[in-house]
Amino acid sequence: MKSFQDIIFDLQKYWAAQGCVIMQPYDTEVGAGTSHYATTLKALGDEYWDVAFVQPCRRPKDGRYADNPNRTQYYYQYQVILKPAPANPQDLYLNSLKAIGFDLDAHDIRFVEDDWENPSLGAAGLGWEVWCDGMEITQYTYFQQIGGIACSVVPVEITYGLERIATFMQNVESHFDINWNGREDDKKLTYGDVLKRFEYEFSCYNFDVASVDMLLEHFNDYEKECQKLLAHNLVMPAYEYALKANHCFNLLEARGVISVTERAGYISKIRTLTKNCCQAWVESLEEEA
Amino acid sequence: MRQELLLEFFSEEIPAKLQQKAVLDAKETFVKILHSYGAEFREVNSFISPRRITIQVSFLIQKTRSLREEKRGPKISAPSSAINGFLNANGKDTSDLIERDGYYYLDLATEGLKTRELIGDMIEDFILKMPWSKSMRWYLEKEKTLSAFWVRPIRSILCIYDTEPLEIYIKSVGLTTCSYTFGHRFLSPGKIQVSDFEDYKRKLEENHVMLDYEKKKNCIDKEITKKAASIGLHMLYDIPLLEEVAGLVEWPFVHIGSIDEKFMKLPLAVLSTSMKVHQKYFTLTYAGSVISPFFGTVTNVPGTDVMYSGFDRVLRARLSDAAFFYKEDLDVTLEAFAQRLSNVVFHEKLGSIAQKVDRMMSIANTREEHRTIALCKADLLTQMVGEFPELQGLMGEIYAKAQGEDSRVCTAIKEHYEPVNTNSNLPYTITGARVSFFDKLDTLVGLLGVGLKPTGSRDPLALRRIAFSIVRLLCDFRENVLTDGTLSWYIETLIDAYSEQGIALEHNTIEIVCEFLIDRLKTYIMDKFDIDSEIVDSVIKSFRSLDFDYRKAIVKAQDLKRLIESENFQIIKEAYKRAIGLIERRFANLTVDSICSIQFENPYMMHLQNSISNQETNPRDISIAVKAAEAVLTACDNVLINDENVDIRLNNLRLIKRFVELVNENIGNLEEL
Repeated sequence: MKSFQDIIFDLQKYWAAQGCVIMQPYDTEVGAGTSHYATTLKALGDEYWDVAFVQPCRRPKDGRYADNPNRTQYYYQYQVILKPAPANPQDLYLNSLKAIGFDLDAHDIRFVEDDWENPSLGAAGLGWEVWCDGMEITQYTYFQQIGGIACSVVPVEITYGLERIATFMQNVESHFDINWNGREDDKKLTYGDVLKRFEYEFSCYNFDVASVDMLLEHFNDYEKECQKLLAHNLVMPAYEYALKANHCFNLLEARGVISVTERAGYISKIRTLTKNCCQAWVESLEEEA
Repeated sequence: MRQELLLEFFSEEIPAKLQQKAVLDAKETFVKILHSYGAEFREVNSFISPRRITIQVSFLIQKTRSLREEKRGPKISAPSSAINGFLNANGKDTSDLIERDGYYYLDLATEGLKTRELIGDMIEDFILKMPWSKSMRWYLEKEKTLSAFWVRPIRSILCIYDTEPLEIYIKSVGLTTCSYTFGHRFLSPGKIQVSDFEDYKRKLEENHVMLDYEKKKNCIDKEITKKAASIGLHMLYDIPLLEEVAGLVEWPFVHIGSIDEKFMKLPLAVLSTSMKVHQKYFTLTYAGSVISPFFGTVTNVPGTDVMYSGFDRVLRARLSDAAFFYKEDLDVTLEAFAQRLSNVVFHEKLGSIAQKVDRMMSIANTREEHRTIALCKADLLTQMVGEFPELQGLMGEIYAKAQGEDSRVCTAIKEHYEPVNTNSNLPYTITGARVSFFDKLDTLVGLLGVGLKPTGSRDPLALRRIAFSIVRLLCDFRENVLTDGTLSWYIETLIDAYSEQGIALEHNTIEIVCEFLIDRLKTYIMDKFDIDSEIVDSVIKSFRSLDFDYRKAIVKAQDLKRLIESENFQIIKEAYKRAIGLIERRFANLTVDSICSIQFENPYMMHLQNSISNQETNPRDISIAVKAAEAVLTACDNVLINDENVDIRLNNLRLIKRFVELVNENIGNLEEL
């Protein structure tokens, strides 16, 4: 049986062998690997960029107090960006499944249309969700635009749902039952051992305890900070503050204090911040050139 | 085969939902391209499977047609700039100019070209012109630039003409055409050399690619039906699902899986929707549409035990969610959900759904209607409808039954969304029909009233479809839906309800809504009864106001169509036009209360009076209308209608005008026919 950490090690080795830079997770809260600057900003511009990394994702609204076997407010993605997308990315992907121990002959793997759009990043692309025996295990997207800017070199983004893949490979029904360290003795540690308390306490925080007034203030502060940093032409810190504002908004939404009309306003604010960051990033690349 | 062109655009997976349209578009586009090159051919066929679009052209002649063409240019006296412009535009020089009749001419005849040499351009054109509803670009290493638009990246292009493989570089996708294709992604991944279409088709079959989409669909249908029948089950027929799953496999393998017994308490619609939407599984039932604990599914590769247990497990996870939603929803009453409708926005300019419900109440009448309206939107807040929006109405019905509502109210809750589409079923119950009408009319009045009328082909709020549904409820429901007043009473009452909520609508909202509905009524009559637009227009114009009985309009339009096809029409039309000419505008306000009370001395006018009163008592009898028309014409020929005596003149005109009114009321406004 393949442990959770072995799946990650195998993916790291596989993509390193394909020439990817293996980065480490971004240390600011993000909702998806797509928000890591190694995706958003680096996908823009013309230069070559192949990268892979694990990214912990936070989606406060998805918390279920660790009650739901498959839905959590914190989980892991394995993110690969190949820029430009080579001529055989589907084969590279299928080989990566072999590399982590999938027997492709025993499973029904399908590429099912799922065009991707992220309004708060102003990003869109075409692609599929990859199904293994009817379960979505990966999102596969050719980016067409980011921050409202058309990609001059089209990258492909491959996002593995690590918990999904692990439950599948280990034949368990709940994320919390995933064997993390691969031991079978009394020192076996499961995903639940590692993260269940984290999941429960953050669900309480997100839904019931987070201080609304503080978050509202933070949102405004982060928005201002982002704008100020852009004025100083410090694009990467500015982008980080756009992400922080976004996370504040996600927490406020989980707290249920944002009405439908307000929601549209917040999303538009975040999109503007992201767009301005992407714009400034592209301009700085043009200046360099 | 000789003179056959075979092209295959081999790409990454084409979305299943786009395939049916794409295969038709491919054929149409390629035929147009062939014509644009003057190519002569017998037939174009197109095929599609998840990773390829194939074009086969039979008897494509080796040379294109030669074209004879001479083009006239500027006058000989024209400035040289004009002459040079003419030469440049046609790629010729001064030595080619022909002088005749004071003008310059160019001989632009072209000899037929070798078809083989045009194929590269045709491929480029095809890639450029193939209309995808959604397409993308990808990076071309060779060109250091992005590709042309296609649905997903093209990875190879097969090209064989007249039994010979062609190698042509296609710049827009950075590929050289080749003589091979690929089989099934997993079952036959290698290259396959191909010599012509027959060979191609046969080899694809051998390599597990079913090129014929219809055959693939039928095969899935038959296999699932057969396997289900062997355990006494029926497949719940679902054509869109069948089409989608056919578009997801290169070769279909069918499997019957099982549903965990603990989910069998879920309503059929919930099980079936969850299986269909998330997993693309087919629902299997016992006789009498009773759900069975089995499903049908299609795979792209032969099944294995580990695969089958995967299908069952995914479904367990999905249905656990559905069962959780169902249980949670049942813990809350529909009234409690309904109370939260004030938090759900109906439209940013028109307030919440709760406000919509209040307005619908203002035009309701019976207790059953009030109860239906109070509950019909509550399911929007249930978790089940949150997950599966297509279950709205249906969940309302299920939850209403569960809390012991009157069965007629339960049915009406479901029915108030009907008709869902242009051709789908109308409600069965009168309460369902009326509440559906209230709901749709409220939407139409509100959205048109704040100026959101659709423009051109853009109708993002689907107002035309809503209006069409209203027309169908008014015309097709077996009973009269408007039991409390005319259409404009309902519209006015709704406008008042909007205004009480502080939502101001435009002052002429009634007219806008009536005109919008009449526009749909027109389409409805034209399409359903195959009646020309002019006829429907003349019927619509014949009513005195915008608020008229739609069913009467249908009858009149059908009568008028029949009349026009008969010989009687000419005489009625002639009489009508003469009569209109006499009345003119200045007598437009002339009132005609009762023609019987008028005393005439002129025998022609007395005859006319008799004919018209006869017409009044038999309004739909065409032979009597014809007699009246004859009497009008005879009177006009023999009587000075505009008599010097004012009283006589006005009485004459009153009688004539009555004829016009009767034709308007019973036949139509014939002025422009």
